[in-house]
Amino acid sequence: MRPLLKVAAALSVGTMALAGCGSSTSTESSSSAAGSGSASASSSESTSAAPAGDSKLMVGIAYDVGGRGDQSFNDAAAAGLDKAAGEFGFKPQEATAVNDENDAAREERLNQLVDAGFTHIIAVGYAYAGSVGKVAKENPDVHFAIIDDDSDDSKGDNVAQLTFAENEGSFLVGAAAALKSKAGHIGFVGGVNVQLINKFEAGYVAGAKAVNPDIKIESTYLTQPPDMSGFGDPAKGETAADGMFQKGADIVYHAAGGSGGGVFAAAKKAKGWAIGVDKDQALIAEPDVRDVILTSMLKKLDVAVYEYLKAAQGGEEKSGKIVYDLKAGGVDYATTGGHIDDIKPKLDEYKAKIVSGEIKVPDEM
Amino acid sequence: MKLDPKRALMTLAAPVLALLIAVVLTSLVLFALGDPVRDVWITMLSAPKPRQITNIVNGAIVLYLSAIAVAVGFRMNLFNIGVDGQYRVAAFAAAIFAGQGWLPGFLNIIVAILIAMLAGGLWASIAAYLKVKRGVSEVISTIMLNAIATGVVAWLLNKVAVKVKGSNATNTQEIPESSQLEGFKLIPGANNRIYTLLILAIIVGFLYWFILGKTRFGFDLRATGRSETAAVASGVKVPRMVMTSMIASGALAGLVGMPLLFGLDHSYGTTFQAGLGFAGIGIALLGRNHPVGIALAALLWSYLDTQSNALQIRAGVAPELVNIIQGIILFAIVIAYELVRRADIRLEQSKVAKELAAQRAVRTPEGAQA
Amino acid sequence: MAGITKRFPGVVANKDIAFKVRRGTVHALCGENGAGKSTLMKILYGVQRPDEGTITIEGNRVDLHSPADAIKVGIGMVFQHFMLADNLTVLENVVLGAEKLHGIGGAARTEIKRISKEYGLRVNPDDLVADLGVGDRQRVEILKVLYRGARILILDEPTAVLVPQEVEELFGNLRELKAEGLTVLFISHKLDEVLSVADDITVIRRGTTVATVDPKTVNARQLAELMVGSELPTPETAESTVTDRIVMRLTDITLAGGEGRNLLTDVDLDIHAGEVVGIAGVEGNGQAELVEVIMGMREPTAGRVFLGDTDISDWGVREIREAGVGYIPEDRHRHGLLLEAPLWENRILGHQTEAPNVKGQLIDAKAAKADTERIVKEYDVRTPSIFVTAGSLSGGNQQKLIVGREMSHNPKVLVASHPTRGVDVGAQSSIWDLIRKARHEGLGVLLISADLEELIGLSDTIKVILRGRLTGEFDPDHVTSQDLGAAMTGADGSHDEHPSDTTGAAR
Repeated sequence: MRPLLKVAAALSVGTMALAGCGSSTSTESSSSAAGSGSASASSSESTSAAPAGDSKLMVGIAYDVGGRGDQSFNDAAAAGLDKAAGEFGFKPQEATAVNDENDAAREERLNQLVDAGFTHIIAVGYAYAGSVGKVAKENPDVHFAIIDDDSDDSKGDNVAQLTFAENEGSFLVGAAAALKSKAGHIGFVGGVNVQLINKFEAGYVAGAKAVNPDIKIESTYLTQPPDMSGFGDPAKGETAADGMFQKGADIVYHAAGGSGGGVFAAAKKAKGWAIGVDKDQALIAEPDVRDVILTSMLKKLDVAVYEYLKAAQGGEEKSGKIVYDLKAGGVDYATTGGHIDDIKPKLDEYKAKIVSGEIKVPDEM
Repeated sequence: MKLDPKRALMTLAAPVLALLIAVVLTSLVLFALGDPVRDVWITMLSAPKPRQITNIVNGAIVLYLSAIAVAVGFRMNLFNIGVDGQYRVAAFAAAIFAGQGWLPGFLNIIVAILIAMLAGGLWASIAAYLKVKRGVSEVISTIMLNAIATGVVAWLLNKVAVKVKGSNATNTQEIPESSQLEGFKLIPGANNRIYTLLILAIIVGFLYWFILGKTRFGFDLRATGRSETAAVASGVKVPRMVMTSMIASGALAGLVGMPLLFGLDHSYGTTFQAGLGFAGIGIALLGRNHPVGIALAALLWSYLDTQSNALQIRAGVAPELVNIIQGIILFAIVIAYELVRRADIRLEQSKVAKELAAQRAVRTPEGAQA
Repeated sequence: MAGITKRFPGVVANKDIAFKVRRGTVHALCGENGAGKSTLMKILYGVQRPDEGTITIEGNRVDLHSPADAIKVGIGMVFQHFMLADNLTVLENVVLGAEKLHGIGGAARTEIKRISKEYGLRVNPDDLVADLGVGDRQRVEILKVLYRGARILILDEPTAVLVPQEVEELFGNLRELKAEGLTVLFISHKLDEVLSVADDITVIRRGTTVATVDPKTVNARQLAELMVGSELPTPETAESTVTDRIVMRLTDITLAGGEGRNLLTDVDLDIHAGEVVGIAGVEGNGQAELVEVIMGMREPTAGRVFLGDTDISDWGVREIREAGVGYIPEDRHRHGLLLEAPLWENRILGHQTEAPNVKGQLIDAKAAKADTERIVKEYDVRTPSIFVTAGSLSGGNQQKLIVGREMSHNPKVLVASHPTRGVDVGAQSSIWDLIRKARHEGLGVLLISADLEELIGLSDTIKVILRGRLTGEFDPDHVTSQDLGAAMTGADGSHDEHPSDTTGAAR
């Protein structure tokens, strides 16, 4: 009887299971750590004191799992931050969530940033809702912004709740897909089956059906919560999209973060189209798949973050609900590559109708 | 023989050795990657603030329950990898029940906890049944059941989720305020509180020690873990034992999410902490399945978790580094314990031989050899 | 070998072992169970290293760190338990791990055939090992080491698993090897075999070499006395204590095994109070299964087991033990003890529901410890304390603890399976005394043993088991080992299915 040997053997199985859950995210965050390493390392000496720079702003940002380098959601926020930092001359401090943490850990992360003396703290992702609400209450002099949540949990006089009308943007790319599809058959790949991503799907489906009520729409989610690997697993994305193309779809829209790369690869193989998300992915995706990106649904996190910081730089502390919808230019579609130039008038027509309120886009399935 | 200082020292030596190895290897990794070794250790070893101490204790409470659940299986040579799935199923079930608020405050909590144990036990009983009736290794089946638990809970969660205006999180109905546990203010200077269900962890720890160490059932369970063949010959019905202990392990796993549910999240949702079951395996190992050892191991684990949060901010190193440290500690500990175990046996055997030789010399020169 | 000392923790040490083996001879190494033969062998084969002493081969001092080293200097070992893969052919088994020598194809086959022919081993390289009998397998093992270039063969108790005919055949092979100039080191405690095949005999007692003698000048009795160091203890029983009262009765016990063969067939057995019923048989003929059926570990396919008048056929192990069936298992490490648990916990084992071990549902550690102290004292278990692990005791002391434990619960029947296997002489005679005492107190004892002298000496009745059937009954006062041996192998004609095919029954 050697229980320990058995333990060792099974532990490796356990670690494999763990790795299976989080491998992609952890590689990303290590790459993000590498990417931001120099920046944060150089700033690390100054963070314990005051961050140097021309600006009085002291900005800390807490990313969701994946962090900088996820080529999607977190990166979009980072882009806004970088822009503001460059323009106003401050050195931001970044922190990233790890897999399998609880609210107490998120709270602690925000508290660490408060302790280090940061005056403006941006929490990226709805997971921070509860912790932002609590920490903001305890630290009324510090200003917070949270992305993707405007619930009561995160509400506070010193909290700006930045949300987006992803359904409206998705409506437009859904309409574009329906207009462009020769087969009358399109697909949707969601990263993780959470409410936020359901919103993308709802808008996309509504947009497609507005154009062609009989259109066939495939829809799938890569993982179920709490397994968040669907946001960072290109292999899963490729498998899912492959299936859709094989069934006859010719355009697939993804709202799957880092897994989107797999969707693009599948589109390339199938000689179909893919639609990007969050950022203009025809500009930033792997070069060899850029030409299959029909358009992208732009969720202008960068704009939201930048504007928040710009106001702060100007002495205005934003707080309360700030909705970035189509009207406010917070969501949009990309035209890079000119693939949808022919249907642009049609899309702009829908856009006007949404802005005017003539079309109400559903936000859940 | 019971309190041999040499052996006590060796028992202590193993975890200390493992920690040292982990520190050295982690430093090497950091050094190789060009990360600031010194800053990392200064951050990791800096004295935690009162707020962080609370967090450490709270984290340890949850980890402790998870490790005890795993340890029950370990003592029986059963490998319950499924604690992770079991506690999520259980927490979900308890959250749904408690969210309804059918019962008043405290009673609501008690019944919800019982429901969690029931749900965890039932989920584990699938693996137990497969092992007893079909000979399926519990390692395989519990891993599978973890994946199934993820799917089933996600699916059900989407069905019962309560839409909170403006929130993108998916949660069950929040439990009524009267059933939320505020916690104890135990750490001076901290404005956050220790989970009330610390009490639960203490009770579980005591029962674990008592039932395994002092009862017939516990004896049978440990005997089976030490030698299944000898247990069978001694009259233990091993299949029934497997069934019982696996379900007990699952029921204990059901408790893992309770401090979080009643003391932190107040609902089960997409942001509910996952992965606690895997941590429990390591902690049970580190604590040598001993109720006090596990408590110390859980505190250490939680300390590392909490301190890691500052790594990125204060040392510019990704917090995942702590996963590496924890992993190395585990592997080091497995090796160190096995080495100590063997040394222990050798030490005892030679000691017995020596004492007997001395006895024999005194008694009769021509005694039977031992 | 000179001055080999091995301090082997706790159990038996080798001390100042010294003997010389001449090339081209069969050299027997004999000693009682637990005398240190196995340790010595392991040292010779590089599995363990001596703490002191040297091994010299043909004038060169060698240092053996591993079996690979041993094979390099030409020492090959044939283990008692065969190390063959059943589902591979002879050829595959032989080349396994030695692929570099002659490849795995035609060259290897040729070489195997050559060795087989040269030493008269009659091994066909393409047979499946699963189809081979025990004797054949042993020859494959021998061929395996010869294939690897061994010039000195160590055979560990090679006859333990063989029936007499096969033993003769093996000895023929050994003589063949000797004639070809190879050296054989033959380890055994069976004196008649040693006398018939060896050119020299070295006797080991309590870990040290006592003498090297010429088989032509000693007889079995003298050899035995060398081995045990004093006059032989004999397991003679005094006057009969057998009563008419049946304490255990087995009727028509049948146990179906795999492949349509019965492991036990129609076993009828009565054990009276005060009677020792001995079961003789070549290992693997159903003894273990018989014990398992009685103890409730296996359900018989047909037949009933009665304890007194109570039908216990459907009872579990625990109920049976509670009802008064004491059990000394064949393999005490696997079935009788928790090696990593302290003695006092081992005293509870098997009696987890009985006083003084428990009070209600709770373990009464205090009482159990006190009672362990009593057992240690009464049964002369040599241990420094009751808190040491059972694994640190020697085999004899472990067995005395088991016997003491079983006798402490007033059994009506004692099932003793090889009770003195692997224990030293001192413990052996005290265990015999205990069995005699139990018999005297009116217990019924079922004694299963491979030691015919033990059976003849202790039993009131001896039954022979062959292929799962009780095939003969003997009166120990009027039976010789030879008679029993013949009956055990079916050579006496009492069982006429396939009188010569005895290997099939051995596992």
